[in-house]
Formats: sequence, C-alpha cells, structure tokens
Amino acid sequence: MEGFLGHPAVQAVLAPFAAGLAVAFALAAVRLAGLAVAAGLAAAVALIGGFAFPPVSAQQKVLLLALAAPALGVLADLAFKPARAAGPVLGAIFGLAAVWVAWNFLRQKELAMAVAAGAGLAALAGWTTAAFFALRGEPVRAGAAALAFGFGVGASALLSAAASYGQYGMALGAGAGAFLLAQLAFGRPIAAGATLTLGAGVAGGLLLVGTVLGAQLPWYAALALSLVPLAVRLPLPRAGLWAQTLLAGLYGGIVAALACLLSWPGVQERLGL
Amino acid sequence: MKKCVLAVLACTLPCVAAAAPESYTIDPYHTYPYFEVDHLGVSNMRGMFRKTTGKFTIDRAAKTGSVELVVETASIDTGDNEKGNRPRSRDEHLRAADFFNVAEFPQMTFRSTAVKFSGDNPVEVAGNLTLLGVTRPLTLKVERWVCKDNPMNKRPMCGGNASGTLKRSDFGMKYGIPAIGDEVKLYFEIEGYRD
Repeated sequence: MEGFLGHPAVQAVLAPFAAGLAVAFALAAVRLAGLAVAAGLAAAVALIGGFAFPPVSAQQKVLLLALAAPALGVLADLAFKPARAAGPVLGAIFGLAAVWVAWNFLRQKELAMAVAAGAGLAALAGWTTAAFFALRGEPVRAGAAALAFGFGVGASALLSAAASYGQYGMALGAGAGAFLLAQLAFGRPIAAGATLTLGAGVAGGLLLVGTVLGAQLPWYAALALSLVPLAVRLPLPRAGLWAQTLLAGLYGGIVAALACLLSWPGVQERLGL
Repeated sequence: MKKCVLAVLACTLPCVAAAAPESYTIDPYHTYPYFEVDHLGVSNMRGMFRKTTGKFTIDRAAKTGSVELVVETASIDTGDNEKGNRPRSRDEHLRAADFFNVAEFPQMTFRSTAVKFSGDNPVEVAGNLTLLGVTRPLTLKVERWVCKDNPMNKRPMCGGNASGTLKRSDFGMKYGIPAIGDEVKLYFEIEGYRD
C-alpha cells in the first residue's frame, strides 16, 4: 500500500481524483461540489510532502494575516455587498486567527490558563476587527481611527521592548495618515470601505496580540488601545472636512496616548499595576 | 581448551569495559554559552546565557561521542538588565519577539550528529542547532578538552572549550541587520561529571 501511495502518478492524479470525486458527490447537495478542486490538491499535499510545515513564528503569522486582511477587504468592497452579520462573522474569524497566532504560547501553558488567555486574545482581535469594520462607511472616522490606532500600537509596542511590532504599527498609522491627507486634498470623503477597515482592524489587533505575547505590553494597555474605534464615534461637526478629521483624530489620539502611558513601565509602577 | 578460552575472556573483559561510552551530565555552574555580535560596526558586543543543561558521552577507544545541550533563552545576560530611566533594558529587548522571542521559543538546543577525534580527544563536533523553532547545522571546533578527576571532590569529569559561528538570519532572527551583525560567534565553556 505504501509503495502504491508513493507512486508519483497516484499522488498527482489518482488519489486527488478520488478525493475530488468523493467531495463532489458528498457536497453537491449543499452547492459546494466545487471544493473537489481543493480536496484534490489537499490529497496531493498529504501524500507528497505532508501538512507538517516548518514552524511559523507568531510574528510571521501576524504579518501573513495582516496582509491577507486588506485583500479580503478589496473582495468585500468590489465583489460582494457585506451582509448585516459580516462584522461579527469577520470578528469571529480573525478572533480564531488570533488563537492560531498565539498557538506556540498557549500550548506551553496549563489548559485552564491557555483557554483563558486564548479567549482573551481572540476577543481582542475579534473586537478590533468588528469595531473597525463597522466604520467602513465613514471614511473620516475610519481613517482617524486607523491613524490613532496604528501609532498607538506602534508606540506602546516600542515601550514594551518590541521594536519590530512597533515599526509595523507605526507603518499602519502612516498609511492611514496618507489616506486622510488624500481625502483632505480631494476636499471630500473618499471610500474607506472594508479595504481600509479590515487592513487596520485586523493588522492592528493582531499586532497587539503579538506584542502582548512576545513582549511586555500589559493586557490593560491593549484593552485601552482597542477602545480607539469607539472613541472616534463621538460627535463631529456636520461640515468642514478638516475640522471633522482633526477632531476625530483628537478623539482617537487621546485614547491612544492614554494607552501608551499605561505601557510605560514608570507609570505602571506609580499606579501599582 | 576451556581454560584457555576463559583466560582470553578474562583478559578481554577489562578492555571491553574501558571501550564502553562514558556518560556525563553537564555541570550547570561551569557550562555557559557566550556569544559575540557586531554592534553598529563599532564594537563586538558580548553576552551569555546563564542556564544550560545537558549531557554528553565519550568513547575514547571507539573515537565516538555525542552531546546535547539545552539553553534557556530567557537567561540571556548582556550586562544590561536595569532599565533605569529607559522604558526597557537591552536584555528585555533581547528576550522579546525581535530577537530570542523567549515566550514563544523558551529553549535553544544543540544536538551533535558526529564527533571528530584527534588522538584521544574530540576536536570537532558537528550537530544541529535549533533556535526560534528553526534547525540548522552548526559545527563547533573543540579548542581544549581534558578528562580527569576533580581535584576538590575527586569525581571524574571532562570539560573544555568549543566555538562556532552562525548567521542569525538563518534562524529567522533578522531584526536590526546590518546595524547589529548577522554573524554571531558562539563560545562554549563546558564541564560535566561522569554519571
């Protein structure tokens, strides 16, 4: 049997065809017969190299997901009309992704601790994803939140001894700043959509998860930073794009600055945290 | 004839016993890995790991041996543990995700695959170093190797010094290159007591 499964033709054609056929017949009724293609590929991977990939670090996982999220956002903006449940569903998906990011840490802990930490991290990433996604129709608030969140994540990561996470966070903020400036240059709101909000919410949330795990960012500072997308929902003047942008940036910036203060070890010592 | 065979066996047994591999357990108080890396092209910064455990075996007659070292990466010490007025000390940064990522990968291990001898002593140890979950080959040159009884406690011991070079980027530790050098020199101080 081992020799048969080791034959290149079996690995490349026969087994994938059998797997695809099984999936096509099984899932045709639920309109998912197309998964036959993926099943064929999965069968080939299992037989040729296996699914045991080299270990991927938490930071590599964060970057993979952070780059995949805006691509998903482009799809959502250009090809689909997001349903009402899209925010919570995306939150749940990226919350689970946070557990994947944290897996190397969680498996070293006792079960109860691992479950509690995993749930907390999933809630954090899920919340930032859903909260940012909810801002997709409000480009000023979305851009300001991404600006404050990005720089807030960056500065607090730097203060927590994670320079690379800090630089990635600041890069998010810089990108959001460019979006806001373009908006001001056009003199009218431009679409933020899921492209911006998923890019900022998922990447920022997972950078926070990575910094809590891999450096010394305290959970309460991460929690404070996650309030940025709520803060930018405070009232804004009805007219005047500049005034709206500055005020929304100020709302988000104050929350981000407070979170950064909480990341400063000297402040933690003074507050007895 | 029977007596003759027994006599031959009696003579051979001590030789067989002497040729058996001897196992040693690392003395954690005299076994430290040190490292050296270029800093900003100005100086070579040095550091060490304070906690190392492991075992080694040596068979001088068969000229074989093995070594397994487990280094706790959180025990890194470059002499900058006090943050003072700064947000974090250098050692805190080295423990974080940019460098040794100790929460995710708490151990660095070296497992030998082959040991070269010159005379009775090992001169080169080839093996695999696992750092940040990535395993790459590493060869250590043994610069000194002595086996004798400890003059204080009289227990049989072996030990010496070995060194090797690696590129940290091969293990995914890329932060700060080239300002902080890619090439890292490793120096081992090893002592172990016979089990």
